[in-house]
Amino acid sequence: MSLQGKLALVTGSGRGIGRAIALKLASQGADIVVDFFRHRESAEQTAKDIEALGVKAEVVRANVGDAAKIDELFDMIGNKFGRLDILINNAASGVGRPLADIDVKAWEWTMDINVRALLLCAQRAAKLMEGRGGKIVSISSLGSRFVLPNYTVVGVSKAALEALTRYLAIELAPRGICVNAVAASAVETEALKFYFKEGLVKDSRQVTPAGRMVVPEDVANVVAFLCSEEAFMIRGQIIIVDGGTSVGLLALAGKGAQ
Amino acid sequence: MNVEEQIKDILARITRVDKSIITRQSTFKEIKADSLDVVQALVAVEETFGIEIPDEDAQKFQNFGDFVSYVESRLPQKEKV
Repeated sequence: MSLQGKLALVTGSGRGIGRAIALKLASQGADIVVDFFRHRESAEQTAKDIEALGVKAEVVRANVGDAAKIDELFDMIGNKFGRLDILINNAASGVGRPLADIDVKAWEWTMDINVRALLLCAQRAAKLMEGRGGKIVSISSLGSRFVLPNYTVVGVSKAALEALTRYLAIELAPRGICVNAVAASAVETEALKFYFKEGLVKDSRQVTPAGRMVVPEDVANVVAFLCSEEAFMIRGQIIIVDGGTSVGLLALAGKGAQ
Repeated sequence: MNVEEQIKDILARITRVDKSIITRQSTFKEIKADSLDVVQALVAVEETFGIEIPDEDAQKFQNFGDFVSYVESRLPQKEKV
């Protein structure tokens, strides 16, 4: 198993994409720090499922939008493990509103969780990766480069996340740390149900050339590849996992897709 | 200040409504609390009282009274007023 003996922190890994990533990395032998914010039961279930794979899981509650909580999280990892090999910056939040209704609170909430957390976590993670190298992978979305209804603040936060990924990749390269991101289209998760409710996404099967929606495991597979030594020369890249949606839009328009 | 008043203060601060309009029967909608306000209120209440309120529990709150009763039920006996 390629990640045997490695330690990975996956933020927001109680549910959805984060959970799938945690399980994928665990299946390759990595011990996992399961971070959650609002759903303890889900996080504990993820930890149980990780342990069933024969590796260790540590559940920690930390809102990554809160700088002090990030410090506590990394203090714990430093004290308990003294190292970190993989940081998956997955936790995300957002407010689905038209531009006119985005207030300072909604902006800061989203930016703090979706972007600032990568900066602060990467700073702390890099210290724990000192002398051993490491991998940092963030989860972005198509909304960083395409306009989705009521997605402004999240889309902008993801664009910033992607820019930060490039800067981190270069600054951390001399330390043997690979930094990349995976941008997914709408992924079938609990969070997506919220977005449906808020009118942010419609049924995207119709606009996915691959014929089905992206599932969390699709994203997890690419994240796991980016965490492997085979991906060592991929730096500062945003890998799109969308079943062809973004490159197939014009073709679908030509077909008169609804 | 009792638990109810403390939570009322937190909600009023976050939603910027006059706390006098908040009663135990008030829904979050009536307090003009959107989903972000509710999460921020939950976090503030958790930090104030040193408890954890999972979303699974918070989703069951029908009104402000449910929120207060839940917090009271989670506190050690001596802290209840």
